[in-house]
Amino acid sequence: MTARTDTLLDPRVRSGLEMAGLYVLSLAGALLLSGLLVAATGNSAFKVFGALLDGAFLAPGRWGQTLVVAAPMLLVALGMVVGVKAGFFNIGQEGQLLIGAMAMAWVGTRWPGPGPLLLFVGLALSMAFGGGWAGLAALMRFRRGVPEVISTLLLVFVAAQFSGYAITADWLLRDLDTTGPTRSVSSAPLDEAIRLPVLRIFGNEFNWGIVIALALAVLLAVALVRSVWGFRLRMLGHNPAVAQKAGVASTRMGSLALFLSGGLAGLAGAVMLAGGSSGFRVTSGFSQNFGWQGLLVALLARSSPILAIPMAIVFAALRTGSGFLAATGVDRKIVDVVQALLVLALLIPPAVQFIRDRRKALAMAGEEA
Amino acid sequence: MPAEHSGDAPVLQLREMTKRYGEVVACDHVDLDLHRGEIHGILGENGAGKSTLMKMVIGLALPDAGTIRLDGEAVRLHDPVQAARHGIGMVHQHYSLVGALTVWENVALGEKGALDPGSTRDRVVEITERYGLEVDPDAYVRDLTAGVRQRVEIIKCLRHEPRIIILDEPTAVLTPAESEHLFEVLGEGVRREGWAVALVSHKLDEVLAATDRITIMRNGLVVDRVATADADAHSLAREMVGREVTLRTGAAAIGSVEAPAAAAGEAAEVKGEPILEVRDAATRAADGRVLLDGLSLEVHPGEVVGVAGVEGNGQTPLVRVLESLLRLETGSVRVDGEEIPTCRAGAMGAAGIAVIPADRHHSGCVPDMTVAENLVLGSVDRFAEWGLLKREDIKAHARVLIEEFDIHCPSCDTPLGQLSGGNQQRVVLAQALSVGPKVLVAHQPTRGLDVGAIEYIGGRITAAAESGIGVLLLSTDLGEIAALSDRIVVIYEGRIIGEMSRAEFDMERLGLLIGGSTAGEDAA
Repeated sequence: MTARTDTLLDPRVRSGLEMAGLYVLSLAGALLLSGLLVAATGNSAFKVFGALLDGAFLAPGRWGQTLVVAAPMLLVALGMVVGVKAGFFNIGQEGQLLIGAMAMAWVGTRWPGPGPLLLFVGLALSMAFGGGWAGLAALMRFRRGVPEVISTLLLVFVAAQFSGYAITADWLLRDLDTTGPTRSVSSAPLDEAIRLPVLRIFGNEFNWGIVIALALAVLLAVALVRSVWGFRLRMLGHNPAVAQKAGVASTRMGSLALFLSGGLAGLAGAVMLAGGSSGFRVTSGFSQNFGWQGLLVALLARSSPILAIPMAIVFAALRTGSGFLAATGVDRKIVDVVQALLVLALLIPPAVQFIRDRRKALAMAGEEA
Repeated sequence: MPAEHSGDAPVLQLREMTKRYGEVVACDHVDLDLHRGEIHGILGENGAGKSTLMKMVIGLALPDAGTIRLDGEAVRLHDPVQAARHGIGMVHQHYSLVGALTVWENVALGEKGALDPGSTRDRVVEITERYGLEVDPDAYVRDLTAGVRQRVEIIKCLRHEPRIIILDEPTAVLTPAESEHLFEVLGEGVRREGWAVALVSHKLDEVLAATDRITIMRNGLVVDRVATADADAHSLAREMVGREVTLRTGAAAIGSVEAPAAAAGEAAEVKGEPILEVRDAATRAADGRVLLDGLSLEVHPGEVVGVAGVEGNGQTPLVRVLESLLRLETGSVRVDGEEIPTCRAGAMGAAGIAVIPADRHHSGCVPDMTVAENLVLGSVDRFAEWGLLKREDIKAHARVLIEEFDIHCPSCDTPLGQLSGGNQQRVVLAQALSVGPKVLVAHQPTRGLDVGAIEYIGGRITAAAESGIGVLLLSTDLGEIAALSDRIVVIYEGRIIGEMSRAEFDMERLGLLIGGSTAGEDAA
């Protein structure tokens, strides 16, 4: 009988089931550990998780808010995925996102023209500028051999300093409105007409950002699997020598991948701004770690654009949920701990699989020797 | 047992040795006796379990069952250090030397306690003189040829004064002259010092020439034991492979090189313009090392040109140039008379050069992609419309090739990495031939494969040439070169230093040439 079930159950299905089980186990472990930590601070774990759940989904209007937050995270994650699939690690999304938001603010507050058109142009320019920012790293990589992991990371700090300057410089982005008692150190708020339109469903409000992000996730997933471009991108990512042999030059394809990667992060910035982040203004600290968290989303989604969707929602939920923690008297920093534990938990199953594959490979090498 | 030893008791006695890896039984109740003063050949093709058996003797693998007796006393061997204390030493197939250290430093590696440079160096000199292993103890290992590196490995092994010496495929990277020298050293040690030597090999002729007794393994089992004096190549081949070996490629695979002389008449008629022409190719590595040094060669349509040579003499750079992976500093590559820019992505492939690289995981295939995807790596444009892949066409294409090339895989959507090495190689071969190339470059296309796969791939290469493709075959296995080539050129230090047609084939001269000696050329 056992032999029969073995043949019925494809080994790939079986290992898939095992992986799913592992995920459930390690997530349960992380939640248990988080609960114990909360209990150690003298609070009720159930209350805390209840508050998180309320804040993220259950309370009126909250899941709409979660979707608003999920959109830029998903966009950043998609950008990471494009790079990783081509074999390039762009980890400077936090900076590219800022650059994109600034491009949006620039178009929205300084360009003349009808609102909807400006919104469209702003979104497009945010992609171009974000992509260009990552393109600097591509230039350094292919001209001088500077690893993109380092250059993209360091460009984050350049972007942060630049945005800090731009919101204090009248000729760049600073709000020119001098009627108030004090001049604000930020860009002017976007006009109504240049904001992302808002959808209202079941008492929840969210903007078009999530729609754009979801559409791009699906588009990217299809392009990677179904298009010649995706085939070549994956070929380059898996084996640059084979790609070069088959006519895919890493300079061109890799630059394109880095440009797209930065472009998606730039778009994330524009979506945040036009979606109401920081009151439709670019302020200091505008990026709010969305760039870094988007990286985690991509990491945990194991570079799958489709898996990135639920992951982005989980991370967004932790963010929006933490807003409700104050009522329980628990420091909202506990959310960072829970988040970290969840990340670690989600990394365990792939690690287990990696070790197993390695063992198998070693055993096979042993047989062949 | 016809070949039971009548004399003294065995120094090493293996009984019922069994080792499993997962579901595969690598060694299945194997018995083996080694005697003092004898060279014992352990013959079998790749995957027969020879190396696993030896790993258990040296303590690198723990047996699942079975006993090891040394001078009649049962021992358990956990690691090579312990094995060395029992007087067992091994010269591995893959060398474990540090290039940036000198010879004597490498010999001292792994020693415990304080390092005494003077006495270690003296010891190295003493061993080299005693056994005629010419090595400069102060030379850096990275500057040494494969043959000399092996001598260093042997010195490392002899330093512990072993009674039992195991050699795993020792001649794989040696020239014929170097192999001969190795066996002289071994024979001397066996006679003078009473060593018991186990020689693991898949090459019939060297086992016949060098051993006193032969154990043949197949699929983890001992299938026969014979005294070398009573053995003949034909029956050994049959025992080893489990069936009659007929094709000359198959014969070459197990190292019995008699074929070419007999086949001298059938060399292809070569006429007209070359399809592939490499002229004065020269290039250096980033660190200034010369990779190719004015190499020129031609391949005509329908001929197989064998490039013979010891590994590391420019074969890999030449192949990389033909894969668009390496730029030439000077010189040119022409296909059908047209110059092809080097190192431009896809240029060589587009010009009609298909390559089967020596290391298929470097530039031959993508293990993480599916079998079907791997079969269209270089030709994906033909399976697309409006930039979208025609996935059904790709799968249909894959199914045809899987059938035609007899690729064993669960489905065409299986990741390539899950296939066996032989089947992966078939995928690489099928991909290369399916694009309709003008030139096929095959670099060590059969290394590490079993005899069946070797015969198959050899047959495919011959067939490709018969269909009018110009074939460039690079191999360190002279038997393979001799069996398949219409014309043989010899590569040495990045240049072609000699050439012979099949009609003038001469193993001895070829052996001299690949060692870099052009002395034979003057006489010729």
